[in-house]
Amino acid sequence: MLESIPTAFLFFAMGLLAMAVPKGAARSALLVVIPLIAAWQVWTLPEGNLAPVTFFGLDLELMRVDRLSRVFGLIFCLIAALGNLYAWHLKDTVQQVAAPLYAGSAIGAVFAGDLVTLFFYWEGTAIASVFLIWARRTLGAYNTGLRYLIIQVGSGVILMAGIALLYAETGSIAFDRMTLGSLGTWCIFFAFGIKCAFPLLHNWLQDAYPAATITGTVVLSAFTTKLAVYALARGFAGTEILIYIGAIMTLFPIFFAEIENDMRRVLSYSLNNQLGFMVVGIGVGSEMALNGTAAHAFVHILYKALLFMSVGAVLYRTGKVKASELGGLYRTMPLTATFCLVGAASISAFPLFSGFIAKALILDQAAAHHHAIVWGALVFASAGVLSHSGIKIPFFTFFAHDSGMRPKEAPTHMLIAMGITAFLCIFIGVFPGTLYAILPYEVDYHPYTAAHVVGQLLLLCFALLAFGVLYRTGRHPAEIRCINVDSDVIYRKAAPSVVHIAARAISAIWQAHAGFWMRKTDLVLRGLYASHGPEGRMARVWPTGAMVLWIAILLGVTLAVIFVT
Amino acid sequence: MSDHRPATDDDLPALGRLLTWVDRPGSGTKLFRALGGFCAALLVIDLLISKHGHFHIEDVWAFYGVYGFLSFVCVIYGAKTLRFFAKRNEDYYGAQAIDREDYPLDQTGVTKEADDA
Repeated sequence: MLESIPTAFLFFAMGLLAMAVPKGAARSALLVVIPLIAAWQVWTLPEGNLAPVTFFGLDLELMRVDRLSRVFGLIFCLIAALGNLYAWHLKDTVQQVAAPLYAGSAIGAVFAGDLVTLFFYWEGTAIASVFLIWARRTLGAYNTGLRYLIIQVGSGVILMAGIALLYAETGSIAFDRMTLGSLGTWCIFFAFGIKCAFPLLHNWLQDAYPAATITGTVVLSAFTTKLAVYALARGFAGTEILIYIGAIMTLFPIFFAEIENDMRRVLSYSLNNQLGFMVVGIGVGSEMALNGTAAHAFVHILYKALLFMSVGAVLYRTGKVKASELGGLYRTMPLTATFCLVGAASISAFPLFSGFIAKALILDQAAAHHHAIVWGALVFASAGVLSHSGIKIPFFTFFAHDSGMRPKEAPTHMLIAMGITAFLCIFIGVFPGTLYAILPYEVDYHPYTAAHVVGQLLLLCFALLAFGVLYRTGRHPAEIRCINVDSDVIYRKAAPSVVHIAARAISAIWQAHAGFWMRKTDLVLRGLYASHGPEGRMARVWPTGAMVLWIAILLGVTLAVIFVT
Repeated sequence: MSDHRPATDDDLPALGRLLTWVDRPGSGTKLFRALGGFCAALLVIDLLISKHGHFHIEDVWAFYGVYGFLSFVCVIYGAKTLRFFAKRNEDYYGAQAIDREDYPLDQTGVTKEADDA
């Protein structure tokens, strides 16, 4: 029976049920159990189009199950369960309804076999997720949420335009591999690129994720961007431009992450950098590269959520999330610190951790396809990942200088959620075969060769050594209270300034123009008033005597004329 | 911030107490030297194993170590340069941005924790 229900509907039902069930343990349990049932469903579903429907004459495929959609669907269900377990303490209906609707939309989009279904779910993720930002209930979060919503819905509108153009061109709405060329495909590519945080389209991510609630950020970090990665992998695998876009994506965020003070924004930049690796894999487009992208998305969702969870636990216990205000928390939060270190080791791709076995596939494929410069950039970015996610996050939160704060350890449910996620990070790292077995294509790759392990350890340990040297000699950038302008300065500062200046200029021109004509009109009015006003010559009252005199003169002149002639 | 503050290191959880080793005088140096020793050992091992990388440069002795060290230094100095250009005050985007506001404490465990204490 479960087979015939699209997985997304399970989540939508969960969202509705969450409203009916009273706040507390029952609702929290519901939000953990149903994603697990959904995960089991995804795991056991046969491949094929399981839920075809006809809608306004269009053949929609609500459940296209194949190996690519299954691996993304599975990790989405898993992280929904873990995220909700982490949020067990919540008594906020807005978030507890928004999170399932958001997860359900993302999962629905992953299983969408056609572009129209994809569009509906695409917009669904945008609308449901903004409530996880607004649920912070501050003016700052409200404004950030509006910006986020405009950009996300904008992506959907561009997608819709692309689909319409493509349909007019080909008569098909099937969501399969496309080739860039027509305006329609470029629109779709651009829409995917916005959600995937391509360079210069990326800043909604670093703007919005630090503004969400503690638990909301954990959920946000998993879905939107990885949905975009899935969509690119499905639609644009092997598109060469993606290799270079991806390489740039791995590079520029590491510099921003290094100097950013808000730890959740550091992780957002780090997320952006990790997406770059996946996008390179899609651009290379070989079966093994796509395996790499899927594997990296899978493990990335876990360790990124783990890092957001650990930083979130600190925020939950201290109310602070800025590097300049944190430090030395390992004393009273040692378990959170340990889980954070596991996440840091995983994202840095230390051997025996999950990042190692996934990122290697992408790097190997970039090298195998002779993209030497891109490969060099990716290795450079790997050292960069270590610098902000591997070192900065755990070191300046839990170690470094003592902030003096002695908060309690994270709540038990958060520790359990972090513990399970950390266990998965290590388990996948130690037993890569378990993940390789569910990847879209058959995997013929052995990450644990002597050369690979030693090479990776050399890279990371010498980078650590560089950190040690720079930190001990005071050359490492200090954690200071500040923000850094990124491309969002264009629409948060420059564009409003331009509008402001333009408004003032137009206003000044209008004033001058109107003033000129007002003065002219005034002169005319004054003239008329002078001649026709109450005191004017034309309105003067003439005595009747003058009239008689004039008539007498006239008669006199007439007589004189007649007399003369 | 909560007043819940363990008076001495003995009140810390066991793992936390164990970790206080890192803050003892000289521990940082010991860790740094241990890391240096590990790196040296890796260099020796790198000499012994056979390598068949996709690029010739991967097979050069200590390539990844040098690349990792230089990359890290580049990241740090690149970031410092970026900070010179990109750094702004926290109120740059005005009072209605999240940069200036505190996380609402009623959504955290801070107040509850203070009550417990």
